[in-house]
Amino acid sequence: MPSFLKDFFNRNGTLMGSLMLGLVLFWTVGLIILPQLSMLDFSFRPNLPPPEIGGPKDVYTLENYKYLVFGPEGGSQDYNAVDLKVFFRTLVAAVCVTIFNLILCYPIAYYLGQTKGNHIRILALMLIIPYWINEILRAFALRIIFGESGVLNTILVGSGIFDTPFDFIRNDIALYAGLGYAYILLMIFPIYNVIESLDHNQIEAARDLGAPWWRIHKRVVIPYAKPGISSGCTMVFMLSAGALAAPQILGGPSSLWFTQLIYQQFNDNSDWPQGAAYAVVLLVTCILLVLAVMRLFKVNMGDIGK
Amino acid sequence: MSAGVGVDLENLWIRFGDFVAVRDANVHIKGGDFFSFLGPSGCGKTTILRAVSGFLEPSEGNVLIGGNNMKGIGPNKRPTALIFQNLALFPLMKVWENISFSMEIAGASAKERRKRADELLDMIALSDQGDKLPSELSGGQRQRVAIARALCAEPDVLLLDEPLSALDLKLRQHMRTELREIQKRVGITFIYITHDQGEALTMSDDIAVMRAGVIDQIGDGKTIYNDPATAFAASFVGENNVFRGKVLEVNGNEALIRTNRSGDLRSRISTANLGKLAVGDDAMMFIRPEALDLAPTGTKGENFVTAQVTHEEFEGNTFNIFMEGDGGKEIKVAIPNHGQSFDDHTGQAMTLEYEVDNAVAVPAGELAAE
Amino acid sequence: MNNSIIRISIWVYLAIFFIYLLGPLVIMSITAFNSPSFPRATPWECLTFEWFSALFQDERILNGIKNSILVGIGTIILSVSMGLAGALMLTQIWPKLRATYYTIIIAPILIPGVVLGISTLVFWDRINRMLGLGADSFLSNGLFLTIIGQSTFIASYCMLVLVARLQRYDLALTEAALDLGATHAQAFRKILLPFMRPALASAAVLAFLASFENYNTTTFTFGEYPTLTIELAQKVRYGITPAISALAFMIVVLTVFAALFNEANIKRKEVIAKARKEGATVGDVTSGVKLPGFFTGNAAAITLVVFAVATIAVIGTATVYSPKQCIANVQEQKRLETQKRIQELRDQRKRDAEAAGQAGGATGAAKPSNNSGFGGVFAPGTLQGGDQGTAPADDAGSSNNSGFGGVFAPNNINGADN
Repeated sequence: MPSFLKDFFNRNGTLMGSLMLGLVLFWTVGLIILPQLSMLDFSFRPNLPPPEIGGPKDVYTLENYKYLVFGPEGGSQDYNAVDLKVFFRTLVAAVCVTIFNLILCYPIAYYLGQTKGNHIRILALMLIIPYWINEILRAFALRIIFGESGVLNTILVGSGIFDTPFDFIRNDIALYAGLGYAYILLMIFPIYNVIESLDHNQIEAARDLGAPWWRIHKRVVIPYAKPGISSGCTMVFMLSAGALAAPQILGGPSSLWFTQLIYQQFNDNSDWPQGAAYAVVLLVTCILLVLAVMRLFKVNMGDIGK
Repeated sequence: MSAGVGVDLENLWIRFGDFVAVRDANVHIKGGDFFSFLGPSGCGKTTILRAVSGFLEPSEGNVLIGGNNMKGIGPNKRPTALIFQNLALFPLMKVWENISFSMEIAGASAKERRKRADELLDMIALSDQGDKLPSELSGGQRQRVAIARALCAEPDVLLLDEPLSALDLKLRQHMRTELREIQKRVGITFIYITHDQGEALTMSDDIAVMRAGVIDQIGDGKTIYNDPATAFAASFVGENNVFRGKVLEVNGNEALIRTNRSGDLRSRISTANLGKLAVGDDAMMFIRPEALDLAPTGTKGENFVTAQVTHEEFEGNTFNIFMEGDGGKEIKVAIPNHGQSFDDHTGQAMTLEYEVDNAVAVPAGELAAE
Repeated sequence: MNNSIIRISIWVYLAIFFIYLLGPLVIMSITAFNSPSFPRATPWECLTFEWFSALFQDERILNGIKNSILVGIGTIILSVSMGLAGALMLTQIWPKLRATYYTIIIAPILIPGVVLGISTLVFWDRINRMLGLGADSFLSNGLFLTIIGQSTFIASYCMLVLVARLQRYDLALTEAALDLGATHAQAFRKILLPFMRPALASAAVLAFLASFENYNTTTFTFGEYPTLTIELAQKVRYGITPAISALAFMIVVLTVFAALFNEANIKRKEVIAKARKEGATVGDVTSGVKLPGFFTGNAAAITLVVFAVATIAVIGTATVYSPKQCIANVQEQKRLETQKRIQELRDQRKRDAEAAGQAGGATGAAKPSNNSGFGGVFAPGTLQGGDQGTAPADDAGSSNNSGFGGVFAPNNINGADN
């Protein structure tokens, strides 16, 4: 037995040690690593009926990835324009949602982090409560508001701003509002955590030296809050790119989200390998994008999740 | 009351990777003794304690408790109880539950536990504090609860890891006496870890002086103080003035040493180094501040030192004179205050005198950091 | 002067932000009490509680709640224990492996839920086949798959919560227990677990909430165990009713209840801790605890009680209140309105026909005078000339309640071709 394992069991006892090691291995290997590898492997295989799996036809192929780029074989178009468009639109929209959320949440996080008083607890509570309520129901609430005969249209038309109701859903406004709404907390909390630990004297000192407020933020607060900001942005981006409920409920009928394509491959087309390939593409692209941005802003992986 | 259970360390080596924390320690601790390991932080004394209590498995060598080899026996099976540096009282348990935790483990009923806890609380003079939480007690009270908790387990050996270091000076001095009394009353072996020589000297029957994983000297307090075996022991335990030089001649248990700056001085050779210190060896000679006395200016001889006074201070019980010393070190002289008048000598050259028996010579070696 | 402007703008910003955050929930809650069968807050018709009874009669919702609770319990057990083991491991793992290990256990938070669902499904399906088990084995059971899939990432959340508390744990406490004769299991149970209890409770609540509301992962794994969220999504996607608002309202109420209760509890503990501290110095602890009651200086507790009384009052009203008369009135009114509108339309069509006859192909004359639904802007017919103008006007003019209005009606587009 290697010495570190021996130390481990000495420190934790044989029973507790094995239990702990077992659980951690089950989680990391059995639930995280192997399923992801399994999905990767699966995405390189043809879609076969169960009896043929493992048979002579079960060979590695790039078919599923080719499909995303070139569409079905012998198709009329050179490229799979529909799916590619959905893919890029999803990424761009997720970036937009992230930026929108950052702009929206930064002032709130700053205010909560740098203000003392009892009302901060209440505001924090009001922030959290919506997140104890089902994701579907949150989207549903927005649909009531943005619907054609919804509250917003009633107000806008009633007050004479618009003469006719505006179709928020078809114009994807409802979708973006919903995605932004869904992940506000994930943006606020990491930023808040960092800003809370920023010594208020630093800000006072900067103000004392005559710095205008925007310069204080640019030179003092934002550099300090960078780990929190990147953590929040990463989470919001990953989650909105991977969102499924909000696009299904709030998305217009003609505008699909990439996750919806994956969902269709699995549930409507029963083409699991194809769906797995799409999922791999989504995962890898998102990770690469996040890593690239983190490299650009010089942030570490260890800061995420704090 | 039995004579208590002894503890032996046999050729004990403890390594962490490439780092040697304890190097070939051999210690015999008599049953019922109050034994201290004294050394600066990082010298390996806590490591030894953890090896005795069973949290560490020695890399080589053995730990024997009451003559039984403890190899492979976990901390929960050893007849030892450890008092942690930060006490490690269970914060969520009441004081009496803390004290009787070992009985809870053994499956005793709540009634029995409470009864025993109350007895121990009486012993540590905290009779009515049993229902408080540890956080509601003062530092000294917590200290005593930790001792009671350890005693409740009825260990053969009590191990204490600098338990007084967090207390303020007054309390620390008070707790020294109290610890010593408790030890006498329960009659079990105490092994005490400290970097404070005052604690070690006042409480211990025997002391082991440790430096960088090595035990330099084992002996009772007087021996360690008056007859140090190494330069480190001499400089670490109590204040000492060091004179570096070469051995010029050896006569029986005395040596004449040519010091670098203070001429030829005569000194006793420490017992441990008798026969080991030879002519021509690099040596160090130590004289305690209180062993130096003022002498008529200009007196010369092999037990007289002349030096320039840099500054003086009045400490209450002593007048301290600081003089230019050897190799960046000052010579400190402590003159007991019994009401005599005392002039300012700053800047003057003064002659000091000592008894040869009060100076001790050891081979040159590493000194304790200030 | 400048300062007060900043202050005001901060408050305005906060107000807008919280309206965005809470407004939708408030409006959704209101729709649960309005009588139209499409959830809407305006126009207000009749106060009704029928959507609540509709909710309780919905087998699928009830079944979904049952499944959600089953999945939630399983997820709590699995993810809290994995999270705890993961957190403990993090504190003692070999330093060189630490960063890698942390990345692995934190990754599920960032992996899209859809991907987690798919990988769980694909992996366990493969295991199932490798073991030669049939399609009905427990490995391909929706309950098992959902718990496994959700725990993959929920355990990461639990780990984060637990590690925060674990960092304040003094390892010497465990050693002290061992030293006093406890086994490792006893030290764990008697010392570490009680210390971790508050964090374990938070982690369990978090795990349950995350499990309860999860959609992305569950939608791939639920099999024959659709959870409440899955059922809700089906309902919301294929036609929405105020019964869903009613459910949402109840969840909102429960949440606010729980939050207030938690807040009151924290306050109470603070008061007790303070009393004990003060009591300890005076030397009399027990009397110090009794003095400050549950309510003293505890705004949350007071709000909680007010809230509870209000809830009981509402439920009381609901049992005796009947909106039948009101609904009948509204229906009568609607009927009259519809008749009136039909009459108007007839008149207009007549006029249109006359105008068309007179003006021939003149454009613009047929612009329908409706202002409901999707007006002329979107109706493609309006630009094409007068002859189709009436067809979309018919659709949009009727009191159609669908959220999408006439726009999706295919004949709008076809109409242009005809």
